[in-house]
Amino acid sequence: MAEFAVIGKPVPRVDAVDKVTGAARYAADVNLPGQLWAGFVHSPHPHARIKRIDTSKAECIPGVVKILTQDALGAGATQETIDTVHGMRLSQSLFAVEVVRYQGEKIAAVCAISPEICKDAVEAIEVEYERLPAVDEVEQAIRPEAPVIREDAKEVEAPTGCPWANLGMFRNVCQEAHFSAGDVEAGFAEADVIVEGIYRIPRVHQTYIEPHACVARVDPSGKVTVWTSTQSIFAIRSGVASSLGIPQSNINVVGQTIGGGFGGKFGVLVHPYAVLLAQVTGRPVKIVYSREEEMLDGRPAPGAVIWVKTGIKRDGTVTARQAVGLWDCGHVPGASIYATGRIVGVYNFKNIKYDAYGIYTNKPGTSAYRAPGAPQGSYASEANLNQCAAAIGMDPIALRLQNMAQDGDQRVIDRKPLSRVAFKETLLAAAKQAGWFEREKKPNHGWGVAIGEWHHGAGPGSAVVTLMDDGTLKVFSGAMDITGTDTGMGQIAAEVVGVPWENVRVIRGDTDSAPYATGSGGSVVLFSMGNAVKRAAENLREKMLALAAQHLETTVDSLEAVRAADESGRVIPRVQRRGQPEESVTLQELAQIALRTTGGPLVGTGTFASEPSHPLISAQIVEVEVDPETGVMEIKRLVGALDVGRAINPYEVEGQMQGGATQGLSWGWMEEMQFGQGRMLNTHLSDYRIPTIQDLPAIESVYLEVPSEHGPFGVKGIGEPPIVPTPAALHLAIHDATGAWVNDLPATPERIWRALHRNRDEGKG
Amino acid sequence: MHAFDYLEPVTVAEACAMLADHGPRARPLAGGTDLLIQMEMGKVRPEAVVHLGRIEALRGIEWDPQAGLRISAGVTLREVETHPIIRERYPALATAAQVVGSVQIRNLGTLVGNLCNASPSADTSPALLALDGQVEIASPTESFTIPVAEFWTGPGQMVLQPGQLVTGVRLPVPTPSLRTWYYKLAVRKAMDLAMVGVCVALEPRNGSARRVRIALGAVAPTCLRARHAEQLAEQGEITNGCLEAIAEAAVAATSPISDQRASADYRRAMVGSLTRRAFTQLLR
Repeated sequence: MAEFAVIGKPVPRVDAVDKVTGAARYAADVNLPGQLWAGFVHSPHPHARIKRIDTSKAECIPGVVKILTQDALGAGATQETIDTVHGMRLSQSLFAVEVVRYQGEKIAAVCAISPEICKDAVEAIEVEYERLPAVDEVEQAIRPEAPVIREDAKEVEAPTGCPWANLGMFRNVCQEAHFSAGDVEAGFAEADVIVEGIYRIPRVHQTYIEPHACVARVDPSGKVTVWTSTQSIFAIRSGVASSLGIPQSNINVVGQTIGGGFGGKFGVLVHPYAVLLAQVTGRPVKIVYSREEEMLDGRPAPGAVIWVKTGIKRDGTVTARQAVGLWDCGHVPGASIYATGRIVGVYNFKNIKYDAYGIYTNKPGTSAYRAPGAPQGSYASEANLNQCAAAIGMDPIALRLQNMAQDGDQRVIDRKPLSRVAFKETLLAAAKQAGWFEREKKPNHGWGVAIGEWHHGAGPGSAVVTLMDDGTLKVFSGAMDITGTDTGMGQIAAEVVGVPWENVRVIRGDTDSAPYATGSGGSVVLFSMGNAVKRAAENLREKMLALAAQHLETTVDSLEAVRAADESGRVIPRVQRRGQPEESVTLQELAQIALRTTGGPLVGTGTFASEPSHPLISAQIVEVEVDPETGVMEIKRLVGALDVGRAINPYEVEGQMQGGATQGLSWGWMEEMQFGQGRMLNTHLSDYRIPTIQDLPAIESVYLEVPSEHGPFGVKGIGEPPIVPTPAALHLAIHDATGAWVNDLPATPERIWRALHRNRDEGKG
Repeated sequence: MHAFDYLEPVTVAEACAMLADHGPRARPLAGGTDLLIQMEMGKVRPEAVVHLGRIEALRGIEWDPQAGLRISAGVTLREVETHPIIRERYPALATAAQVVGSVQIRNLGTLVGNLCNASPSADTSPALLALDGQVEIASPTESFTIPVAEFWTGPGQMVLQPGQLVTGVRLPVPTPSLRTWYYKLAVRKAMDLAMVGVCVALEPRNGSARRVRIALGAVAPTCLRARHAEQLAEQGEITNGCLEAIAEAAVAATSPISDQRASADYRRAMVGSLTRRAFTQLLR
């Protein structure tokens, strides 16, 4: 392995002090002179016809400046939102027209001089509804008697062989995906054992700590500025432009420090409303969502109900797998239903068939959440695989190793050859760290294992690395830092140019100043923007060396960059004739020389569009202890392994692995948006549970470095995979501890207790 | 949050007078960890908020080996959980206080506030019931005490009349042989509300028990004592069969609901399991 000076070092995060001391400025910290506050009337009903909206009382409240409804905008104000970063297009009116389709849908917006007056006015708006029957579960929504939620809903033929085949048709279908390879029927006929199950995965919110917030200002010239919390300033720009018909060049989006996004802060949510109200009132407008609004009118991860059937031989050969996935899209399409295909995973299974459906329900639309679709699809697949291992009495790791693909194999799903994958090595690394093969069986203790595959994305972007006149570097781009990537990009620039990491400042521009950058999500940032930064730094380095060669009257080839410390221990980065420190020039001198030459300041640029990435897996082993009387579970240990390609910063890698595993534990154990008759029952964090630090074990992370051909220094995108395997590992651990399979997530104490109860009743316990 | 009058009395009499003036439209404020959330959510809209923080007489924990313990209305849950006498002599109360919310919440929230929020899932309420707590109530004209068991009338409801203020809680001196056990059934170890709370206090005597108290939380409109089960437990040696009858009687005392936290079935079953567990632990 090459020796690096900065890469691979656990340098502290560049944003740490500001965040810990409270100095970081989030979107809700932005306040402008003359600013107004906006709030929304949200529908209390999941499905209803709007009979009447009366804003007269609210309009009389002193301090209320403007109230908008769809009527006020005109029926034609149904706008298309285009997210150019993701190539997504969504047609939705700003406010509910005639019919509301989910609890939380916006009916009206109020703008007032204070948040308190705004809230009073929201409450003073009277809306009369005629309630309509609502559907909140996909298994209900597909039934022939279910109300049709949208006119464009399709009715499709139910796939044969699945638990819902007897319905004949599925109602309320808005998306479909189908795949077939080999011959599943022949495969099932060959099997010694058939293992099938229904796996229900709930809808969960990304639960970022910072709810959506933005401030919009419209200058007299019509120029729009938006300060906001987002994973992509360029997606907000295109979203605002398309939804309000404003030329993109007339909008500037400023990304503030972000308090978490996890996929839920890509596109517009509150932004068009703030801009519209700022246009109408001529004053800056601020919107800060409450936690309840996030729960009722955010864009969470879709829930899914997935049926999986596997045929397996006693020797561990999987002969066929079939799945039908029903994905809860809410009232608009958009769920990652193709993730039903996780039944293939990273295995060499020959006979595969899946049918996936996006189903309309009376809930808000969904969006991305860390590895969109993968935790749901992988849970069904991996949990079922663990049940297969149990059915044939085989070790679940041995079963996986026997069926796993490796370099040179073709992927079943797209016939692409695999290269630089380390699936087996990753799984074995987790097993070794955890001591899987030496584990002892203790009463009420259980161990579980699962893997989660992910194929990270890539996106276009550009970065500029400048040698400042004091000899330090500035890295400039439009990429949002959601996970510590600023620190990693600084390390890349420092490594390439040859300066200590402390000598690099990473600066983020707004959409007016920065070159285009892809959104921060899909595990793309360090792979894509990291490449752009690396190329920019290389470009700068070339220019520096050329100037230094000129100055030292030698050739570029004879030069080297050194970061030797002086007598006082201070590192003075310099360029010198190889092995001849006396013939050198410091970077500061070089920067000064550049200012006096015809070339001017030294600036490197780098761009990146897209290059292939390699699939990788996260493997996890979890140990639990379950109280069989109450179902209360304690997580004793969690070991995660991941192939990261190259760890630019081990702290950041571990942070990603711990964060993802925590979210996976949460989804598998306690987290769930609960609904009853279309209404959400747990809209606050007291009952919408995610683990506290007291609930978590010390998470042990081991990583492998099988370098990518295309990532900077071999980087693979690793932000998403650690959430994927956890629920399935937990599913097996609970079974190992109790003898019960809890297929429906989350495995709350009550669900575990019920499963045990069922087992006892059936005489299994 | 809506607009309201914010009042800061410095004596109990003054506070009672203010509460009397505004009648049911006034709410006393101690730590605010329940009240402010309810106001923010629009669940309660008091005209006047009477802050008790400046009343010197509402501070402090008093211990008298003859008279017992007195915890004033201003005492935080954190003070209760860390108080050496409470930890030594009333461990179930210390444990119950310790599992409320988080340290931050317990640094603000008070024991009396937990009592007066009158939530059936309040962690400290089963402990106060099992320890024979008395509620000390002041009004503009008089001051008196009533048993904790008679204090609540429903979820969020209590016997207080306008102008009455709970100034503290009194607990009798525990007998040397009294043993107590509290279990909070929750999903999380912190920041969670009990699905079921069970507190049992008793004096073990060679396999039988005296002075038995079985107090249950989150399984009825108010926290309550399972008195029939208590009587069964005091009738002689507690055999396995007898324990089963006690657990069944405890379950029979409940009337749980199904909600987002747990189903009624599960709550009933857990009252049985945890009651059995309590006796097994305490008689061991």
